[in-house]
Amino acid sequence: MKYSLPTILSTKEGFECLASLAGHTEHLFARRVSVDFSSCEFFDANMAAPLGAILARITDRLNEVELISLSKGIQSVLCQNQFLASYGYPALDDGEQTTLPFQRIPLAEKGLFAEYLGRHLQGKGVPKMSERLERAFQQKIFEVFQNAVTHSESRFGVFVCGQSFPTKKRLELTLADAGIGIRENVRRFFQNDKISSAAAIRWALVGGNTTKQGKEPGGLGLKLLKDFFSLNEGKIQIASRMGCYVFENGKETFSTMSADFPGTVVNFEINTSDPRSYRFTSEPGAKN
Amino acid sequence: MNEEITVRIYDIIGSPLGVSAEDGQVVHEKIAPLLRDGRKVALSFEKMETIISAFLNAAVGQIYGELPAERIDELLSLKDMTSEDQKLLERVVANALLYFKNRKNFDRAWKEELGDEE
Repeated sequence: MKYSLPTILSTKEGFECLASLAGHTEHLFARRVSVDFSSCEFFDANMAAPLGAILARITDRLNEVELISLSKGIQSVLCQNQFLASYGYPALDDGEQTTLPFQRIPLAEKGLFAEYLGRHLQGKGVPKMSERLERAFQQKIFEVFQNAVTHSESRFGVFVCGQSFPTKKRLELTLADAGIGIRENVRRFFQNDKISSAAAIRWALVGGNTTKQGKEPGGLGLKLLKDFFSLNEGKIQIASRMGCYVFENGKETFSTMSADFPGTVVNFEINTSDPRSYRFTSEPGAKN
Repeated sequence: MNEEITVRIYDIIGSPLGVSAEDGQVVHEKIAPLLRDGRKVALSFEKMETIISAFLNAAVGQIYGELPAERIDELLSLKDMTSEDQKLLERVVANALLYFKNRKNFDRAWKEELGDEE
């Protein structure tokens, strides 16, 4: 089958279009799937992460995937971030070194993820963040990775990539999994299969809410993420199943998407010129 | 005499990254039996570079479901911690206290709120 991919930006519409690709191919087994980029005028580099998650599910059903009719510009962007390397395209040197390459990281490989962040967040042209900002950002990314480990049940691991925009002083980083989505976790927890995706995301963002059962408290990761990006004046987007969440300029919106994204995507846009120190108290030291 | 035992997280997990609940659980299994026996424990964060809430929930947070908070304050001290990590731990502890106190009521309230369909 041939699927025509439109322009894909880091927006709700972008997530919907990728979710639609998943929906149109979910019944296919051992077929050839041609993703046609001829109508795609622009593709935000970081959206390679959710696209990778969807294509992994398609190939897992023994389908052969090919990406065709990419414009020179899109090909260049997706070769630079190494996304196209698995589809027979040559790797391209990232001349300006603004790319955080596409990589698939198994859930058990937190060391590999740490190595990825260590190598690609520091230097390589990524706009210079203060050490404290970088550390705080890295901590929040690990919170999201750990959320995927604990909740996603993604056999395919986590797909990560990013792009820095030195002149805008912004850095985008996207983590996508091909798991069960936030909705499924919340539905199981409440034993209610009617809870909507947007309501499930809303619940998961409240500090202390966790679907983990047992002796261990939880539910702080996403709340901390929101607090950090509020101070940083950055942006968070979460797309999970049919729910979409955006936090920007202190304002949050929850909405329902027109298609079902099979998994969860978290997209961060960090303000790299943020002068805050993220030092909450003046004295380092011990509790007692 | 109750001599304080220093437990260095780095030595237990062998990494400067406290970024998984799994590693937090390993730390918990080292310190919880000592605290239950009434031993004083100083948990050292020396050499730790990144700590996340999921790690602290498992390592420290769950102790609040096993022992009274006053007893934990008496026995457990923390050292070599950055101010950021200290602040994070304060949130983890506050969350743990709420979790073990109000969990059922909290979930019941949400159960009524999460009524919309998809």
